[in-house]
Amino acid sequence: MNYVDLNVIHHPLTKILHKQPYQICSRTVMDTSDPNIIFDTQGVCNYVRKYENWEQNQKVTGKNAELFLESMVERLRKAGRGKDYDCIMGLSGGVDSSYMSYFVTKVLGLRSLVVHVDTGWNSELAVMNIQNIVQKLNLDLHTLVIDWQEMRDLQLAYLRSGIANLDVPQDHCFIASLHNEAKKYGIRHIMNGGNMATESILPTSWGYSASDSWNLRDIHKKFGSVNLSTYPILNFWDLNLRLPYIDRMEVIRPLEYIDYNKSQVKEFLIKELGWRDYGGKHYESVFTKFFQSYYLPTRFGYDKRKAHLSSLIVSGQLTREEAIVELSKPLYDPSELENDRLYFTKKLGISLSEFDSIMNQPICNYSNFKNQVELGKKFLRVVRLLSYIKHKLV
Amino acid sequence: MIVIVDYGLGNLGSIQNMLKRLGFHSIISSEKAVIERATKLILPGVGSFDTGISNIHELGLWGVLNQKVLLQETPVLGICLGVQLMCKRSEEGSLPGFGWFDAEVLRFDKRFESDKPLPVPNMGWRNVDINRQSRLLTNIQENPRYYFVHSYFLSACNKEDVILTAQYGIPFAAALNKRNIYGVQFHPEKSHKFGFALMKTFAILS
Amino acid sequence: MRFRVIPVLLLKNAGLYKGVKFKDHKYVGDPINAVKIFNEKEVDELVFLDINATHEKRKPDLDFLRSIASECFMPLAYGGGINSVDMIREVLNAGIEKVIINSAAVHDPDLIREASKYFGTSTIVASVDVKKNLFGKYVVYINSGKEKTTLNPVNWARTLANLGAGELIINSIDQDGTLMGYDFDLIKQITAAVSVPVVAAGGGRGVQDFARVCLESGASAAAAGASFVFQGKHRAVLITYPTELDILMAIKEINL
Repeated sequence: MNYVDLNVIHHPLTKILHKQPYQICSRTVMDTSDPNIIFDTQGVCNYVRKYENWEQNQKVTGKNAELFLESMVERLRKAGRGKDYDCIMGLSGGVDSSYMSYFVTKVLGLRSLVVHVDTGWNSELAVMNIQNIVQKLNLDLHTLVIDWQEMRDLQLAYLRSGIANLDVPQDHCFIASLHNEAKKYGIRHIMNGGNMATESILPTSWGYSASDSWNLRDIHKKFGSVNLSTYPILNFWDLNLRLPYIDRMEVIRPLEYIDYNKSQVKEFLIKELGWRDYGGKHYESVFTKFFQSYYLPTRFGYDKRKAHLSSLIVSGQLTREEAIVELSKPLYDPSELENDRLYFTKKLGISLSEFDSIMNQPICNYSNFKNQVELGKKFLRVVRLLSYIKHKLV
Repeated sequence: MIVIVDYGLGNLGSIQNMLKRLGFHSIISSEKAVIERATKLILPGVGSFDTGISNIHELGLWGVLNQKVLLQETPVLGICLGVQLMCKRSEEGSLPGFGWFDAEVLRFDKRFESDKPLPVPNMGWRNVDINRQSRLLTNIQENPRYYFVHSYFLSACNKEDVILTAQYGIPFAAALNKRNIYGVQFHPEKSHKFGFALMKTFAILS
Repeated sequence: MRFRVIPVLLLKNAGLYKGVKFKDHKYVGDPINAVKIFNEKEVDELVFLDINATHEKRKPDLDFLRSIASECFMPLAYGGGINSVDMIREVLNAGIEKVIINSAAVHDPDLIREASKYFGTSTIVASVDVKKNLFGKYVVYINSGKEKTTLNPVNWARTLANLGAGELIINSIDQDGTLMGYDFDLIKQITAAVSVPVVAAGGGRGVQDFARVCLESGASAAAAGASFVFQGKHRAVLITYPTELDILMAIKEINL
């Protein structure tokens, strides 16, 4: 089926931001709006090959998956003896974290401390979903409320900086908060709802790393004004050295070991836990909804739906035809967009005209600011060397 | 063009806000010239009857409102004090109302049975019953309820005019309608989803 | 009768807080998003109280009130340092339905009389904070519970109603934030003494409490803070509100 995204082709910045000429993957719906995409001779993009590679060489299924989960549960139960909790996990009210809460509690039988990070943009649906999950599964909830004045300032700084990934402020403090809470309660095992089955694909250009503290601090320094005194920041050494090696914090992705089918999971959640669907991925946050459905497509021509849908295509949960039908639906209902735009600007404390002029300013790349890319590469080389040495010595 | 009549009483911003949320533009005005051009009118109001009537006279709007509503048959929605002003008279004051409805406005606590007095004003969410159908009730939900806050209630002489009724110790008229003239005792702009439905119906009336 | 269930949100420096017995306030987050969520939950009514305004002698932030009011399609009441007719006018014009007066009424009772005359009794709400003294007697406190008066709450409530307050909020400082139930006795005494609607506040935990204080103690509405912003044994911040069905079921149960 021949599908061409005219929004990309006709985007005013297409020659700068996107790869030329326009091409769309023959297997998924990823296209040249990702400037780093590579197609093989059959027109299949690198993301498909990467997934196939993972599926063949790294995916754990069947008996092996069961064994992994069993031994993991054993390990966590042992570590949790005499303590209140076996593990910790974040709950946003979205599909993955909601299902994971159920899976870890009822199927794996582990005792979890559930953490919700409130960044001030919760939709009512998200809050209701969290309430239902926590009450029906009888879970202990902790909410970390990020200081709104600081969050607002940081989000505004990102908006003014002109970079693509505005969701770093929310995502970074989520990671940092979870790790901090884990440390506070002496819990060494963090359950993460990430999974290759539904989210294997996400171009770096559409969403550079939320864990890069240098990038965050530099952007805030240049465009922010409120001192980030309580906003939790995880610096490079904390994240890459202290937490994994000294605190021995382990991140586990349990959903990776089951047959995780998005639509089946949604049906289950709706039927058994009173969960409500809110449309797009991560629309539990009003900010994220506006960011993904308006800001990214309008300013950059990046439509994250392509990544979400392509992830489902490669794992066999969606056909390319179905994905194309989804993509042809408008991102936003016009009157809803107007209301959300008003809300977005009202919350951030800027006028509509100021927002419009920001949207028309020149764009930037995360690499225009201090970042940990080089440091990360060096660190990785050292880690690989050390692990090679360790391997040789053993 | 929907004009919300500003005669100094009532939470006009909330009404405008609800219309805006529904996607309808409206103008708040106390000017005769603007009201003359309205395709629909809203007469809001919170406060006392006589203050309302005298403000309207002082602003020179008595004539134009009568003209628009009675001669041009412009659809008009009265809210709370607004619908009370549309009646003949009120126990709260001494001035005559517009008289568009053959009705009068009476005080609650004079009419309660003395061993069961309820607090006044009637303040809160009350269920309503449909007395007869009306174009205003086209999209009304099941088991509708609205926010009421009033010490005086509508007592219509012509039962045909009553489209919704409610109870507060005694039955009273919650909404009236006669041709192009609509009036609700409750506050649709403060009755969230129920109010949204009613305002939308009014806004799209042809 | 379907009584009202009213979340009470406390403001401090443009942030929402909730304390216990008027102390140890915990940060709850951004007020605008909270209003949006409550609005989507279709709550009956909302009350906002600025807990430092009287103490800091601060005027209400009208821009802030306007931005809250535009997210709200149910009645909104605001209180905090309100002490003049002009201030009331400004707050009402910002889109707030009712203005709540507490400490100012004690210093200047005429304010209630004047304001209710100008703006209508239904827009003027008087709020009374009550604490038991060492002998178990009820005493009125002002200035967010920091200053003791010699007023008896029942008499004071009567006075306020006579001056023209269209509604009274009676708040038990002792029960506040404890989630251990209302002071049913206090509420009963007040509702017996006045003929205006009385809103019970302080300690309300869930629909059973709300139904009880309204259907048994005569309150027209049940207000609560902690009940709607805290969840579970760790008092995690999460906005909740009973469904219409929950409320109707509670009414049914009490009536049985």
